[in-house]
Amino acid sequence: MSDRVIMHMDMNSYFASVEQQTNPELKGKPIAVIGNGRTVITTASYEARAFGVKTGMNTWEARQKCPHIIFVVGDNRKYTYTSAEIVKILLDYTPLVEVFSIDESFMDITGSLRMFGSPERIAYLIKARIRHRFGLTCSIGIAPNKLLAKLASEMKKPDGLTVIRPVEVSRVLERVPIEDLCGIGSRTHRQLSLFGIQTCGDLGRFPVDILRRKFGIIGERLHYMGLGIDDSPVVPVEEAEEVKSVGHSMTLEKDISVRKDINKYLLQLSEMVGRRARRYGVAGKTVHLTVRYADFTTFGRQQTRKMPTNNSEEIFAEAVSILDTFVLTQPVRLLGVRITNLSYQREQLPLFAEERKKALATGAMDMVNNKFGDFTVTYGSILDTEEKGSHVISPAWRPSGIRNVDVR
Amino acid sequence: MQFTVTKDIFLKGLQRVQSIVEKRNTMPILSNVLLETVDDRLDITATDLEVGMKSSYPVTTVKPGKITVSAKKLFEIIRELPDADITFSTKENDWVELRCGKAVFNIVGLSPDEFPYFPSIQENNFIKIESELLRDMIEKTSFAICHDETKYNLNGVFLKAAEAGEKTALKMVATDGHRLSLMEKTLEGSFGPELSKGVIFPKKGIFEIKKFTEDEPCELLLGFLDNSAVIKKNNMVVVMRLVDGEFPDYTRVIPQNNDRIVKVDREQLFHSLRRMAILSSEKSKGVKLEIDREKIIISSSNPELGEAREDMESDYDGEPLQIGFNAKYLLDVLGVVDSQFILLCLRDELSPALIRAAEKEDFTSVIMPMRL
Repeated sequence: MSDRVIMHMDMNSYFASVEQQTNPELKGKPIAVIGNGRTVITTASYEARAFGVKTGMNTWEARQKCPHIIFVVGDNRKYTYTSAEIVKILLDYTPLVEVFSIDESFMDITGSLRMFGSPERIAYLIKARIRHRFGLTCSIGIAPNKLLAKLASEMKKPDGLTVIRPVEVSRVLERVPIEDLCGIGSRTHRQLSLFGIQTCGDLGRFPVDILRRKFGIIGERLHYMGLGIDDSPVVPVEEAEEVKSVGHSMTLEKDISVRKDINKYLLQLSEMVGRRARRYGVAGKTVHLTVRYADFTTFGRQQTRKMPTNNSEEIFAEAVSILDTFVLTQPVRLLGVRITNLSYQREQLPLFAEERKKALATGAMDMVNNKFGDFTVTYGSILDTEEKGSHVISPAWRPSGIRNVDVR
Repeated sequence: MQFTVTKDIFLKGLQRVQSIVEKRNTMPILSNVLLETVDDRLDITATDLEVGMKSSYPVTTVKPGKITVSAKKLFEIIRELPDADITFSTKENDWVELRCGKAVFNIVGLSPDEFPYFPSIQENNFIKIESELLRDMIEKTSFAICHDETKYNLNGVFLKAAEAGEKTALKMVATDGHRLSLMEKTLEGSFGPELSKGVIFPKKGIFEIKKFTEDEPCELLLGFLDNSAVIKKNNMVVVMRLVDGEFPDYTRVIPQNNDRIVKVDREQLFHSLRRMAILSSEKSKGVKLEIDREKIIISSSNPELGEAREDMESDYDGEPLQIGFNAKYLLDVLGVVDSQFILLCLRDELSPALIRAAEKEDFTSVIMPMRL
């Protein structure tokens, strides 16, 4: 693991920049990308950030900070498409590309240097191509490992390029506040400050056995993080760990408590789960149902079946029977359906004609929907509900494979 | 109640009922055996309300009576006792005392009055069946029984007799919705109204009957009582509640027009499939068969492990065909067929396949392919 060259690429205010590129009227103006219906700000442009508008704010909060802000309802398809195209560019420089989220990727370019020259040259080539093709900018960090590469890319935004060479590591880390490290959240930060640890320098010098006693196995990792040591490899998509669950959830347009309405959403979610599972040839034995009440109390229940399934109706029936086991005490805000305990399998066809017809009909439905888009052919009982499908890009989104969720 | 019995006899009697007693402990009395002495005979009875068994053994009765005790504990105790006579006696409040050599056990029992009713069996209207014939039929069908309890009508084997003149065709069928196995034997005599209509024997009961047939060949008696079937062998009786449900019309799933027939050496295919199945995925065991006029290529692959392939000679003169199967389903069939060659009768890659022994006609298996 010694002498690696790792690059971290972070797209600058990604969603907002994509919107400004596709609609020139928005260029140079403070804009914020929001979701559909009840939502918060997902990304603000740099012009809006100057006024103090931040991700996660309500629209009215943002308007208070910046009265002439322009809200744009996000178009997730644009973002997932662009992101997948950007990853293709990255793959021209190394096969070791780990997509970390929709707008961030790690690359191990150790073996690419002989072909392309210096790390900086690769960074400039990537930046130039992304700017030329999409008009977007990104910040790139280059360092001996993922932890430091990510730290480096955060140092200069927008359109930055920061290199941390191995000899500079301890000098750079000395003054870096610990909360800037990826992996130290607000809780760990609070606990560490109780020890008087403020900077990475402090963390690296702090006795490791005290950390170990306080944090267990994580304590040791924190120690190494303070020293800027991180051995974790860049894991390309095809080598990533097997997917353990397939699920979808949605925040409803408005809180509902009528069982019939809840069932409609459950059927829609079950179809989304079933379709994605079928597309990638997996079936789940356990079905989970997640419910969030109006006051944000969230809970889930699960039920395990005799046989794994990826049939939408069976998933739906299981979800409904889980819902039958408890009494809803409040209106529902969010619903989620998930299958786990996955097995990868080719499809065994049923012997008896009635069941076989059902399986073949599902196959035919999937073929139509693959060609003409999700929910082109679907269950009659969910025809009247609003637009269907995924509206939110999950953090687990990936440009290919089972985690590639079609969003609208 | 008091009696003396040799260890061998008592152990054998208790061992036989271990598989009957209820393991889930929903009703404590069901994990007990009923012991009853009449004259110099000990009747041991166990039941889980679905399948019950009663068997009789010679003992020396001192005082007649009855009691129930935990089947598992009593068996464990008797198993560890020395080879000597065992004295079994009941005390007040359903306590039991066991003495053997210098060992004494005092164990709690439950009142025999709480033990479920076991029907008394009259021996008229019984049908006689050779144990070997029955064993053959059960062996070649029971592997296809469905284990999904929600499909309760498939949780057993279907037995039906169709009279044809002097002879009767006795058919046994099992299916789990993915494959089906059918045995057909021609017998003399008639078989009564229940079998003409067809009955479903429960899975647990069928395995008890199979145990009956595993000793030396003999004649078994089969009769019906209300909604139950009664099987009798020498000193043992098994009574089982028949599955109350409609068995699907299996005749409709047996393909009639499968004209692409491949003749294969059974053992060769069996071992090849076992090898290939190692690399197919854990749960679905999918293997691919590519059949043409020269050879059959059997292959499997697993994204995590790799891939494997093997080819063998084929006796086939149709169009080339690719078809996927769950290797376990094929192996189950090849494991029970007693013939050197089998016939694999296919139609296309999405239609059910029919498997028969090349030399015999009594066995038919249908397996639904997997989508490749």
